[in-house]
Amino acid sequence: MAKARAIIKRLKAVRNVRKITRTMELVATARFKKAMDRATQAAAYTKKMSEIVADLSEGLKNSGSSISHPLLQQRESEKKSILLVVTSNRGLCGGYNAAVLRHTQQRVRQAQADGVQLDVEVSGKRGIGFFKFKKLPTTASYTHFEDRVSFDEVDVLAKRFTEQFVRGEIDRLDVAYTRFVTMSRQIAVVETLLPIGKLVGAEPKAATKSKTEYEFLPSPQEILEEIVPASFKARLFKCFLDAAVSEQISRMVAMKSATENADGMIRVLRAQYNRARQSQITSELSEIIGGAAALE
Amino acid sequence: MTTATGNIGHVTQIIGSTFDAEFDGAHLPGIYNAVKIETEIKGLKIKVTGEVQQHLGGGRVRCVALGSTDGMVRGMDVLDTGGPVTVPVGKGTLGRVFNVLGDPIDGRGEVQHEERWSIHRDPPKLEDLSSKTELFETGIKVIDLLVPFVRGGKAGLFGGAGLGKTVILTELIARIAAAHGGYSVFAGVGERTREGNDLWLEMQEAEIGDTGRHVIEQTAMVFGQMNEPPGARLRVALTALTMAEWFRDATGADTLLFVDNIFRFSQAGSEVSALLGRMPSAVGYQPTLGTELGALQERITSTNRGAITSVQAVYVPADDPTDPAPATAFAHLDAFLYLERRIAEKGLYPAIDPLSSSSRILDPLVVGERHYKIARRVQQILQRYRELQDIIAILGIDELSEEDKLVVHRARRIERFLSQPFLVAEAFTGKKGKITSREETIVSFEELCDGKWDHLPEAAFLYVGGIQEAAEQAERLAKA
Repeated sequence: MAKARAIIKRLKAVRNVRKITRTMELVATARFKKAMDRATQAAAYTKKMSEIVADLSEGLKNSGSSISHPLLQQRESEKKSILLVVTSNRGLCGGYNAAVLRHTQQRVRQAQADGVQLDVEVSGKRGIGFFKFKKLPTTASYTHFEDRVSFDEVDVLAKRFTEQFVRGEIDRLDVAYTRFVTMSRQIAVVETLLPIGKLVGAEPKAATKSKTEYEFLPSPQEILEEIVPASFKARLFKCFLDAAVSEQISRMVAMKSATENADGMIRVLRAQYNRARQSQITSELSEIIGGAAALE
Repeated sequence: MTTATGNIGHVTQIIGSTFDAEFDGAHLPGIYNAVKIETEIKGLKIKVTGEVQQHLGGGRVRCVALGSTDGMVRGMDVLDTGGPVTVPVGKGTLGRVFNVLGDPIDGRGEVQHEERWSIHRDPPKLEDLSSKTELFETGIKVIDLLVPFVRGGKAGLFGGAGLGKTVILTELIARIAAAHGGYSVFAGVGERTREGNDLWLEMQEAEIGDTGRHVIEQTAMVFGQMNEPPGARLRVALTALTMAEWFRDATGADTLLFVDNIFRFSQAGSEVSALLGRMPSAVGYQPTLGTELGALQERITSTNRGAITSVQAVYVPADDPTDPAPATAFAHLDAFLYLERRIAEKGLYPAIDPLSSSSRILDPLVVGERHYKIARRVQQILQRYRELQDIIAILGIDELSEEDKLVVHRARRIERFLSQPFLVAEAFTGKKGKITSREETIVSFEELCDGKWDHLPEAAFLYVGGIQEAAEQAERLAKA
């Protein structure tokens, strides 16, 4: 009986796990919908912003104007930079955090090799736990960025980064997060947000399209002053939104396969239990019959 | 008591491997007396020895046949020998092979002996028992670290079919007997005859250290293999034990007793039990299972005069250790090794389960604080890994915390490092057998637990001796 009981115990445990994974799958599906809407809405805005900034700076450069914006300037030498790592607060999302952290480690190693002082800021309990375990230093950690990030929360960060960059305290800002490409494709990346010139996806469209001649009112300087920081904020905000969507998708996928795995295991255990129980009954029966026969 | 000679009865009933004989009511043969039948019937020579098990009343006794009952008929003359089965003991038994009755079966003529001892003897007295506790090094990593053997103690090898019990036992013979100065006795109980033959040939070739003498010269072998009737398998262990007892008591030398397979002894008992009219008990075993095994095991023990160190293989039917036969055997052992099918399926040999195997002397007072701590650490890591396995199967390894990932990482390396190439398996694995000293084993596992070798690939830890060899293997793998 010992064997049958041990199987039952395991079976119960697996059933409980399955309950959790199934629930997580459903919750992730619901949350994913909302996060997805927010991300797609923001995507269009961010893209346009980046394009305008790129066009503007290109246009200005071409016209030989000396007007520029500090956030657009490439620093000659890189001495100090910040790496913002966006991970999730919750687990049960497959390889989501592991992938981001793997890229983070690469960047940290590269910075070490280049002799750049790198401050790491981590968002999400999973990432914080990882750095604590690896005994790597972090300068700041945040846990308040959930799956519905508000612009105001990101704004605080963005302002600080901008100020630090303008004052020359940092020469570069990277964000390690999971970029949402399509429903079935999310990739962990380390992206450079500051200086803006290095922005991926912000290549001037001017080259392919007919050049748009801008007329600046009141002045190019003032417009840049306004639009460049706004674009940066939008980008940063987008990182968090992408991360949120990717997290939910990862969770959905991971929990779906976990539920399936649990189902498979339940089937196997069930069969094992039935067999153990049956053989126990058989042996008891044969003992009784044998005993009775011996008494005759 | 019966008179020694001329007490003749007649066979009245033959059931399978038991038979009844009728004697003169005043001269009944005593319990455990050997009775002999020697006749010729229709040109067929019949020579059977039986052992009296029960007095049935009316002058009838019930006996277990120690040979085949084929061709026996009612009315045959049965001679009471006046005492239990006796076997030759002494140095003349060395290098020879015997059957249950103490007759040589190696075709080398008569055995030189001065004494014959009864196979039924009393276990040593309480006051004579030795209380020394000393570690017995085998050079096998997993055994020395987690299941240290006791000098003068008993070790059991538990395992289901085909997990390598016999291989480990042969390996231990090769390691211990070859390095050992004393005498060895091997009892083959109900196992394959071929294996017994292999072992015999091997022992003739193997040398003891550099002395130029062969292991067989220090060894007596007794076989009652699976082709023999249950009576023979029931008593063959006692025959071997009696020979070992002589070495212990008369020479005081350290004696080794290997038994393969003690389960067959219980099984043989259960085969004759019903024929003797006992009611079967749990899972169809004889109700006297515990008593029978106790009577045997209590004799395998070390006294103040000499020590018997014994290693016994125990078959575990259907991989179920709660089966009464192996469960009864547990209690008698100082160290028990449990062979696990899951480990054998991974191709890791010896397939000793590091978690369910245990030893009485894995205790800081005997093996030392350091050894004890490292053994426990290894077990902790493997235990945690086992607990995590269901989670990994369901959720995947990414869901584990960083600490747990590291545990899994190390556990997988430890698991592989517990494998070791065997001297006797050289022909099969193509790898030379490795003897690893206890000190090296301890250092290796300590460094492994500390994470000093986390960077080596898992395959580097397969079938090596010390940790340095794992490093060398890693280099070879990197080149290939």
